[in-house]
Amino acid sequence: MAVQITTKVNPPNRFEKFWVTMRGNPIGLTGLVMLVSIILIAIFAPVIAPHQYYTSGDVSSSDIYNAPSSTHIFGTDDAGKDVFSEFVTGARVSLIVGFFAAFISVAIGGLTGIVAGFFGGRVENVLMRLTDIMLVIPDLPLMVVIIALTKPSLLNIIFVIGIFGWTTTARIVRSQTLAVKSRKFVLRARAIGAGNFHIIRHHILPLVLPILVVQAVLTVSYAILEESTLSFLGLGDPTAPSWGQMLNFAFSRGAMSTGAWWALVVPGLGIVWVVLGLTLFGQGLEKVLNPRLATHHLMPGRPVLAAKSGTSVQAKKALLEVQNLSIHYVNDEGKPPARAVENVSFTLERGELIGLVGESGCGKTTMMLALLRLLPAAGQIVDGRVFFNGKELTALSEEEMNDKVRWSGISIVFQGAMNALNPVRTVGEQIAEAIIKHIEEFPRDQVQTRVVELLDLVGITADQKDNYPHQYSGGMRQRAMIAMALACNPQVIIADEPTTALDVMIQAQILELLDSLRKKLGLAIIFVTHDLGVVAEICDRVLVMYGGVTAEYADVDTIYNQPSHPYTQELIKAFPDLTKPKKKLSSIPGYPPQLDDLPAGCRFAPRCPSAFARCHIEQPTLHKLGDTHLASCHLVEVPK
Amino acid sequence: MSKEHFLEVQGLKKYFEAGRPGLFSRAAPRYVHAVDGVSFTLRHSEVIALVGESGCGKTTLSLLLMGLEDSTEGTISFEGRDITHLSDKDRKAMRRKIQMVFQDPYESLNPTQTIEEIVNEPLVVHRIGADKKERDERVKKAMEDAGLKPAEIYLDRYPHELSGGQRQRVVIAAALVLEPEILLADEPVSMLDVSIRAEIINLLAELRITRQIAVIFITHDLGSVGFFADRVAVMYLGRIVEIGTMLDVLEKPQHPYTKALISVIPVPNPRLRRERIILQGETPNPIDLPSGCRFHPRCPVAMAFCKDSDPPFVAVSKTHQAACLLLVK
Repeated sequence: MAVQITTKVNPPNRFEKFWVTMRGNPIGLTGLVMLVSIILIAIFAPVIAPHQYYTSGDVSSSDIYNAPSSTHIFGTDDAGKDVFSEFVTGARVSLIVGFFAAFISVAIGGLTGIVAGFFGGRVENVLMRLTDIMLVIPDLPLMVVIIALTKPSLLNIIFVIGIFGWTTTARIVRSQTLAVKSRKFVLRARAIGAGNFHIIRHHILPLVLPILVVQAVLTVSYAILEESTLSFLGLGDPTAPSWGQMLNFAFSRGAMSTGAWWALVVPGLGIVWVVLGLTLFGQGLEKVLNPRLATHHLMPGRPVLAAKSGTSVQAKKALLEVQNLSIHYVNDEGKPPARAVENVSFTLERGELIGLVGESGCGKTTMMLALLRLLPAAGQIVDGRVFFNGKELTALSEEEMNDKVRWSGISIVFQGAMNALNPVRTVGEQIAEAIIKHIEEFPRDQVQTRVVELLDLVGITADQKDNYPHQYSGGMRQRAMIAMALACNPQVIIADEPTTALDVMIQAQILELLDSLRKKLGLAIIFVTHDLGVVAEICDRVLVMYGGVTAEYADVDTIYNQPSHPYTQELIKAFPDLTKPKKKLSSIPGYPPQLDDLPAGCRFAPRCPSAFARCHIEQPTLHKLGDTHLASCHLVEVPK
Repeated sequence: MSKEHFLEVQGLKKYFEAGRPGLFSRAAPRYVHAVDGVSFTLRHSEVIALVGESGCGKTTLSLLLMGLEDSTEGTISFEGRDITHLSDKDRKAMRRKIQMVFQDPYESLNPTQTIEEIVNEPLVVHRIGADKKERDERVKKAMEDAGLKPAEIYLDRYPHELSGGQRQRVVIAAALVLEPEILLADEPVSMLDVSIRAEIINLLAELRITRQIAVIFITHDLGSVGFFADRVAVMYLGRIVEIGTMLDVLEKPQHPYTKALISVIPVPNPRLRRERIILQGETPNPIDLPSGCRFHPRCPVAMAFCKDSDPPFVAVSKTHQAACLLLVK
């Protein structure tokens, strides 16, 4: 039933997608099979039941509590009725009560949750206090009283269970509604002129629905359990025998004392089967509808593949040397891997600041994570070598990477400082933790002094040490992240888009800070960015990447004043130049290539203004244009 | 109706209550002075850039102009009519005239809607178009005007199948479909790659020519307003501190804050590395405003008297005004 709900709302292609994901989810699939089997049994009950349930007029004493046999595969009960037939008919009643009561619960709970979450204020207060009251009322005794007072008909039972089972749904839906309501597309809908009803119908409901569906499945099992309890207590509808009533009759009419275990076990198993099926299916559904539960980031990566060719085993003198590095994202569905980085080389000297420039998705972050061997699970270094201080990083074990390289040799400052800091611990504590975690022998009594020293380095005063991240502004958080990266005196800092989300003034402050740290501490910095302007301000050398390969690699002056690769030229033209404010910005038409569907020739060719026939067929190699100038473009090819 | 009085904002203020100092305290409640007396005018098909750092009130100002927040004081008038406080019905009608483009194209599109549903939605909301065919025509035209050509290949896609630049075009198309007269763009390019930024800015610049749309362009980056903006207003702590034509502000900045902002704009050429005026600290919180000139605690050229009096607007030229006490002397 729940599956049908999803298909109605989503277009068919999503149903297919749903089915593919569900198939890969053994828990959910097991639950689904369990459920479908019992639903089929219930639907075809009259056909399946071998003995007519109601024709038990002439019962002889020899029919009572017969053990399972070929005529009565689950035996007979106290009235001589076939337990299997009763079980099959009971499945109908239990499922009908379960689904309809859950429908009422989910409707009330969903509506309450959405209205409370969406409108907030007094409405929310009233509704949520009502929910709280419903939660603290002992529902079973109250249900017993209500049903005892009214007629114990199936309708009454459904209704009573329905109006008691909605509180959890209301709470969950409310919090989801709150989350959806604060998203920007809801504000945009308001700006368009949409009213509340329209927004709830088109923007809140579709995003709350997955949770509602999962909740509905779980509520069905709650309702079936409640119905069984009520029936067991003798409050079931006598005209519609359910599993609970079978238990009640068996229990009260001496099944235990006569050893007729089948009369109790069979309906009991039915209940367990359905509830388990629903719970498993609910869990599976949750994973499918909320794929974020299944992703693992920064898991121990795949093994590094040995370097093939073109690399020298011997490192040069540079601090960090990357030789012909290639990284692929492997997928398990047999599709070709995404070639995120291919054949990229660069060197970094002590105290040097190198800019790594490219559009999003060009492989720059992937390459930086690979240096620390922190690639996401699907990422794999498939070729090339990385040398750090003469050590080959690509050959080190996980432990050696942790002990000698990560944080103490190379550390990283991520984009989006708010998400990288733990919101419930003070900044000082987090920096102290970074120190202790990486240098075990660090004298404990000096940790606080070191924290103050680090904060001072990045321009945060000691009295702000005990503040929480939310008390810091965006710029201060980024400073704190830099302090944390400095904790173990690394020689290299990778700054991955550290200024992207910041205002220009704060951006200038952070750039100034990095530049001063480099001079003060002799740090080497790799500055990853999509912003050529930032690079021009502070970098010594620039590596421009496009679609996973090196487009151009040169010193900063060459990049800006004699760029050879058309991509570099176009990037510079697209950058607003304040000295020529009236000039129209030129833009690069098109979009970067998909890394799993790369063009045959030069990866930039489809967007390149000077591409010719050869560019679309043959991938250009890196051409050396000077001592420190490389570009991969057919146009700059030097005749041999 | 004069050309000057297309959109006129007079002394606009928005204070948010920041909570009382203590639960039982009798002290007066404290206020966040998010927008604190902003006045400017917008002409037909003019592009004005509102520039300032986060915390300067530019986003609150945009919400006020859109009627998504209620102002505390001041007036907004459109074509001579006061639109500061409107009934729901009038506000809805007004939305057809003023549309907005949001900062984050990843967040401002509903992931469960197709592109067609997104661009068509405003027409449904406003019950525009006699039949589906007419609506389809409008959707198609808006999408192609926003640079999604041919529109057909995008209609059935979902936002997550598009790149950031394409999504921002979808947001723009969904605004254009109502044929607004003013487009309010709140940091429309700050989440995009540099190469894509130029495209979106060029697109907005084209729209004012092809559709005569006036644009209010809100940004923290003075560098991106050249070429495209006619006038620039620089905001600091809820107020406009300098306003003038684009060339006035970029080439002859008068306010020390504007000068600092211009000096930190990255220049894409290492040979032109300049002396940067990097202001220390960040914009103070707008609850306890500094006395006198609000900028004096961070001002590199502040004098003793800057603490005492609030600077008035001084006309530097016919088109150029700035609020700095040094200009008064």
